[in-house]
Amino acid sequence: MSDGDYDYLIKFLALGDSGVGKTSFLYQYTDGKFNSKFITTVGIDFREKRVVYKSNGADGIAGRGQRIHIQLWDTAGQERFRSLTTAFFRDAMGFLLLFDLTNEQSFLNVRNWMSQLQMHAYCENPDIVLCGNKCDLEDQRAVKAEEAQELAEKYGIPYFETSAANGQNVAKAVEVLLDLIMKRMERCVDKSWIPDGVLRSNGHSSADGLPEDKTQETGKCSC
Amino acid sequence: IMENKPVWEQIGAGFVQHYYQQFDTNRVLLADLYTDASCLTWEGQGFQGKNAIMEKLTNLPFQKIQHSITAQDHQPTPDSCVISMVVGQLKVDDDPVMGFHQLFLLKNIDNKWICSNDMFRLALHNFGC
Repeated sequence: MSDGDYDYLIKFLALGDSGVGKTSFLYQYTDGKFNSKFITTVGIDFREKRVVYKSNGADGIAGRGQRIHIQLWDTAGQERFRSLTTAFFRDAMGFLLLFDLTNEQSFLNVRNWMSQLQMHAYCENPDIVLCGNKCDLEDQRAVKAEEAQELAEKYGIPYFETSAANGQNVAKAVEVLLDLIMKRMERCVDKSWIPDGVLRSNGHSSADGLPEDKTQETGKCSC
Repeated sequence: IMENKPVWEQIGAGFVQHYYQQFDTNRVLLADLYTDASCLTWEGQGFQGKNAIMEKLTNLPFQKIQHSITAQDHQPTPDSCVISMVVGQLKVDDDPVMGFHQLFLLKNIDNKWICSNDMFRLALHNFGC
């Protein structure tokens, strides 16, 4: 899984109150495959998944495929003991902000998480997808879809109702986040704004990779 | 075996066993171990007095917690207190196991050992501050 055969390594961080289902969400996204690497000494838990991203160029021609190695970081429960600090946020390129549709307080706390993100992430408007999780528990719902949608619109971020239990919209939410990030990268010809370690392009030459790969455009970013 | 150990070892080990047993079963009961002069530093955040300490400890957001003590050390202090350092692991709800360190200063007041100072840290090393 961790071999170097990819074009970009992108780190996502799952955030939200304790118990909203962050770990289950990531587990569901990685097909339940147990790639979880928990490093006790450093308190990082992350899962990995490979995807191929095809951009749709403005000219309507489907772009080449880029092999993305996604690392999904979990807070591993440490947010119960301490507030997460700058160092935790700054390495992530995109954020999955989860709340629990059956727990109103977790929804109210989305505002706090947003201000934390605006303060500590690598920039003031990082790419975020808001997920109302546990949508399978419809009879226990405490947050209306419209309320959540309204909040997401206020922040200008996409909103999905997800279920880590049955998989609904889980992959969709991650795909949309990846798309936001890839679009941001394409907008920035000069990628020097991306902080160290947030996005690592692989030095691997992709000449022997996917046939549509253009080596001059991949693997050359030294950020 | 306990009887052959120095008295500060017995006091410290007895406190540590009692403290984590209460913490893991019913945190509210920890109130008996602090006084209004007690200090707690929890992940760098300070709390003084029984009420403030108990508010922090009882509001930690989890249902279940289990502590497992790896090692503990105890010493007598010049003013007849006992200082104890604990290294261990904890598991909260369904989260992965995490390491922690905790330090207690135990003081005898009216023939009862209470905790006058308490410092807690998770053993995590991926932070800048």
